[in-house]
Amino acid sequence: MAAPMTEGPDPAALEAWAGDEEQATKPEEPSLSAGEWLSRNLFSSAVNSLLTVVFSLLLVLVLRGLLNFMFSEERTWRAVKTNMRFLFTHAYPQSQYARIWVCIGVIAVLSGLSVGLLARTGGGISMKKLSMNLMAAGALIALGILLREPSAAVGADGRAIHRSGAEARGDSFVDWLDANALTVLGLLVLANVLLAAWFHHRGTYLQVATEPRVAHGVLVLASLGVLIGQQYATGEVVRESFAEAMADRAWWWLAAVVLVGAGAALWAGLGDARRRNTFVPAMYVFFAGAGLMVLSAWVYPWGHYAFLEGEFIAEPGSTVAMTTKLPWTVIWILLVATFELGRAIKGTRVGPRLRVPLNLLWVMTPFVLYWAVLRDPDLDWAHVMSTDIPMAVFFAVFGGLVVWYLAHPRIGETGRVVAVGLLLVAVLNWVAAFFGWYPMLQKARISFLLLAVVAMLAHNFAGDRSQRMKLVAAWVAAMAVFHWLVTLVNSPSTVDTPTDALIGGFGITLIVAVFTLLLSFPLGVLLALARTSKLPIFRVLSTAYIEVFRGVPLITLLFFFTLIFNLFLPQNMTLVDIAGATIGFSLFSAAYLAENVRGGLQAVRRGQYEASDAVGFTTVQRTLFIVLPQALRVSIPPLVGQVIATFKETSLLAVVGIFDFLRIADKVISAQSEFLGVKREGLLFVSFVYWIFAYNMSKYSQRLEKRLGVGER
Amino acid sequence: MSNTDQATLAATQSQRPPFYRDATVVKWLAQVFALVLVVFALFFLTTQALENLNRQGIEIRYDFLGIGLGSDLREGIDTDPDTAGRALWAGAVNTIRIAVGGIIAATILGVLVGVGRLSSNWIVNRMCSVFIETLRNIPLLVQIVFIWALVATFPDLELDQGPVNGLLHISNKGLSVPRVHIDDGFYQWMIFIALGSLAGWYVKRRQDRRHDATGRDTYPVGSFLGVVAVFGAVGWVAHPIFGWVGAIFDFIGGAYSSLTQVVVQVLLSLAALAAAAWWIRRFLARLRTPAGLMKLTDDDKFRIIFAGVGALAFIAFVLVVWPGLSSWIINSGTDLFEVIANKFGDGRTGRPIDIKRPDIQQLGNFPNPGPAGLSLTQGGTAVFFGVVLYTASFIAEIVRGGILAVPKGQTEAAQAVGLRRVTMLRRVILPQAFRVILPPLGNQYLNLTKNTSLAIAVGYSDFVQVGQIVYNQTGKTLEVISLWMLFYLACSLTISVIVNFFNVRMKIVER
Repeated sequence: MAAPMTEGPDPAALEAWAGDEEQATKPEEPSLSAGEWLSRNLFSSAVNSLLTVVFSLLLVLVLRGLLNFMFSEERTWRAVKTNMRFLFTHAYPQSQYARIWVCIGVIAVLSGLSVGLLARTGGGISMKKLSMNLMAAGALIALGILLREPSAAVGADGRAIHRSGAEARGDSFVDWLDANALTVLGLLVLANVLLAAWFHHRGTYLQVATEPRVAHGVLVLASLGVLIGQQYATGEVVRESFAEAMADRAWWWLAAVVLVGAGAALWAGLGDARRRNTFVPAMYVFFAGAGLMVLSAWVYPWGHYAFLEGEFIAEPGSTVAMTTKLPWTVIWILLVATFELGRAIKGTRVGPRLRVPLNLLWVMTPFVLYWAVLRDPDLDWAHVMSTDIPMAVFFAVFGGLVVWYLAHPRIGETGRVVAVGLLLVAVLNWVAAFFGWYPMLQKARISFLLLAVVAMLAHNFAGDRSQRMKLVAAWVAAMAVFHWLVTLVNSPSTVDTPTDALIGGFGITLIVAVFTLLLSFPLGVLLALARTSKLPIFRVLSTAYIEVFRGVPLITLLFFFTLIFNLFLPQNMTLVDIAGATIGFSLFSAAYLAENVRGGLQAVRRGQYEASDAVGFTTVQRTLFIVLPQALRVSIPPLVGQVIATFKETSLLAVVGIFDFLRIADKVISAQSEFLGVKREGLLFVSFVYWIFAYNMSKYSQRLEKRLGVGER
Repeated sequence: MSNTDQATLAATQSQRPPFYRDATVVKWLAQVFALVLVVFALFFLTTQALENLNRQGIEIRYDFLGIGLGSDLREGIDTDPDTAGRALWAGAVNTIRIAVGGIIAATILGVLVGVGRLSSNWIVNRMCSVFIETLRNIPLLVQIVFIWALVATFPDLELDQGPVNGLLHISNKGLSVPRVHIDDGFYQWMIFIALGSLAGWYVKRRQDRRHDATGRDTYPVGSFLGVVAVFGAVGWVAHPIFGWVGAIFDFIGGAYSSLTQVVVQVLLSLAALAAAAWWIRRFLARLRTPAGLMKLTDDDKFRIIFAGVGALAFIAFVLVVWPGLSSWIINSGTDLFEVIANKFGDGRTGRPIDIKRPDIQQLGNFPNPGPAGLSLTQGGTAVFFGVVLYTASFIAEIVRGGILAVPKGQTEAAQAVGLRRVTMLRRVILPQAFRVILPPLGNQYLNLTKNTSLAIAVGYSDFVQVGQIVYNQTGKTLEVISLWMLFYLACSLTISVIVNFFNVRMKIVER
């Protein structure tokens, strides 16, 4: 296997990863005229022309089907609009909704800062691409307007007016076309085949160029005309005329014209090719789009639809509710402001130093947001003062002293003895817990175990005074956070929800995905290390784990952990469904992560191991400082792939009866009295949201792969 | 240097460190410690489970498999099963059916889309990318549920309108197409086919040699297929003459059932010992240097001891922990031979295969596409198209990557030699691309098989859904989940064995 990082931590690659380096721009492709482009890409040979004809027909049919599906009178999109809160948070109480906005706000601030700090100075979307995309979007909308079925005339009951079969068969040309559309299309395709054969026979492809293109093009446009015209046949449903349909879609025409106009203006305004290649940061385009959306919430009458406390609200004419548009506006401002702030401090001395704390904050955020903000714990202050704080202080001080002592560079054998002694105490604590010998808070046992592990590892991090100070500070901080979180987790929540999951819908999807990642990542790395280890028992255990968990479907694991895992726990312990499901997801995901990391570990060259041995590193030091950083870097793209997979797999929560995004669209909305049996609209919306997230992550991973040069082995 | 210094030096060199600083000992201690920890954790969880079950008065037993099941399945080989075991078997067949069909369909679609993604035609290229990027970024479960909801809106089928006979049938009850049906004389006919393949293989080898010797086109594959076709045609009429084959299996089954439990136990124990001995021998042989010297480190000794202990543990398992295993092996083996003997029964004189057209009828509680055509219910349609489309989008990317991985020089060289485009693809590009494609393709097949378990969301009677019915009725959740895992592990193992087989073959071809 060829190692991609042959030179170890290559500084240039590192810089690229950090995102500071401006990417070398690709050599500009020669710009072709529209005719040249067509003959090269669509009509270069007889077979190619036929493929073009058949596939463009297919495309038009698919597009038409999709549009007619989406804009049909029978679609109840109101069901989705009304149930937005359900879809995203399920039954999270209305009165506490500010907590949700706070969470989104915190994430917006962190993302803005991170993206601002990491943003590349150059690069982004080129003006050329931007203007072309704008024009293409406009053209697509125009095509969609033409292709879409005309609306049906609606009766007093809100349903389309139907006619009897005999009445439906009119004798106009359009009616004839409607009846014979397939035949006509077939004939047109046949004509194309004959044309292709004829021109191929004469050998005029590419040489004479224009004739075959024009001929095929005319036939393709004729097919398009047949398909559009066919829709205006009245058939069994009474439909509006072409003029009425176009007038109805005036807003869409306006949008198409504005988009095309903006694109064209951009293109024309940037005259020469050199200026077309200037770049706009991608984030600005995103901010502009999001800003337009937020602005439209204040201006455009989207209507106010909601399902609040058992009542359906539908006010078609008004703008979006204040409780929706105000938070989004604030969040948008926060995002832009923090992005600018990040960019501003990036150049200063503070910028690079902020990266590590920011990453730590990202890891902490899910815990804090979930337990401290969303859950609103009801702290028992007497207990906190009498037990929690003293215990935290004790472990911080005692552990700090131990770490300070054991990280002494010349501690030698004594350190090991002390560490093993601590480990024995920690193990004894758990043995005592098993036999119920002496009561002790579980928190203390875990703290002892953590201390023992840190003590065992301490000599690997030994160093001078400042190094030891850092270690002690890290320990104290870790203890503070750990005890605080455990206290929060142990306090009952004041938020009152009907299910035992605090939040449902897309919220639970995100929360489970994030916690799954946080849990499975360390486990996956450990498994990968064990699997590549030279020690046979570790290897066998890890291999068995990985193969078993990769061999069974995720759904069986989820059933195991939600249905019967409580049987395996001591009597006074129960695991709620959502925690069980998260454990199931994590164990499953860890097996896959381990395989990805193993790939990275195998890419680390032997010389790296030998060099670290030569310097006298211990195994732990070698693994932590030499092997893992290189291995993880190589496996970033597959790891992102695994993140996407985990995100998609969270939809399985619906099967084990948790009210996640999918289940609400599938089961909850379709059971509401107002929207009985309305499923497809919600499911389409769910697909769309999943798609947005997964697609952008996969694009990001592809860019990352290119930047890291992993793909070019 | 003084004498004493040298003495100390020698002493330090010869002397082993104390055991707690000895790398080998510490290493093995750490491993044994980890093993003990894992075993203890499992032990702890198991004892808890047993205790909790005892408290609720439940036992872990598998006898529910023989008890009747009070509900019907929606589709499968047996929609009204007598026992839970039979129902699970029908579910397993449904899973395998949809997995095999799905693998074939997904491969074809995936390869087409993957090649289309590389097309120089802009519109084909773009449509294939849109196909891939759309389908693989939407969770499979969402797709399956959506297709299910979509099928529900297809034209309603009147059940009292009688059998529907056509080539393709689509309604809100599901989908049905004509299918090839295995008829009476199929297995006897297969003997002809097997003989034909043998003869065909011989002919093919001869034609290959003639081609190598003379360089002329001898059509080896064509002649192979021809010979097989001739044998098949003869067998179509003559297959009843193999009616006596069943008697052989009857005899083997009878001999097998007369084995006693002790014999099987002894055989299993001997096999375990032999395996351990074989492993140790091979291990030692690998360490043997050309000079015949052997140096055993402590690690090696530990390994050998572990192999022995493992074999002894297996023997203890067979003899003490589960003595019933041997009689189970005997019983199931006997049953198997009986079934095989029955397939070759003397009275089977009908046609080997038959083609049947779709036919919808009401069976059990559910409107059920009849046994005639190849049918899928609403749920089956959703699962099938869901897994096929989803997996195809991944396979397409793999195929594209595989073709791109073939160096450009190969294409240019093939063109320089003057190969035709099709020959170049068949002989140069695809064999090399296939080598890159195969391992990830195997993974996709595995994923597809596991993903069929999502059928539970739309009520297709696959192994998991039937399992859910069973534990809802019997309360045997733990047992059913263990059966699920074993079944899917077996499926995964089978697929990876098959893929590995081809993988190894491809590697040999490469060198």
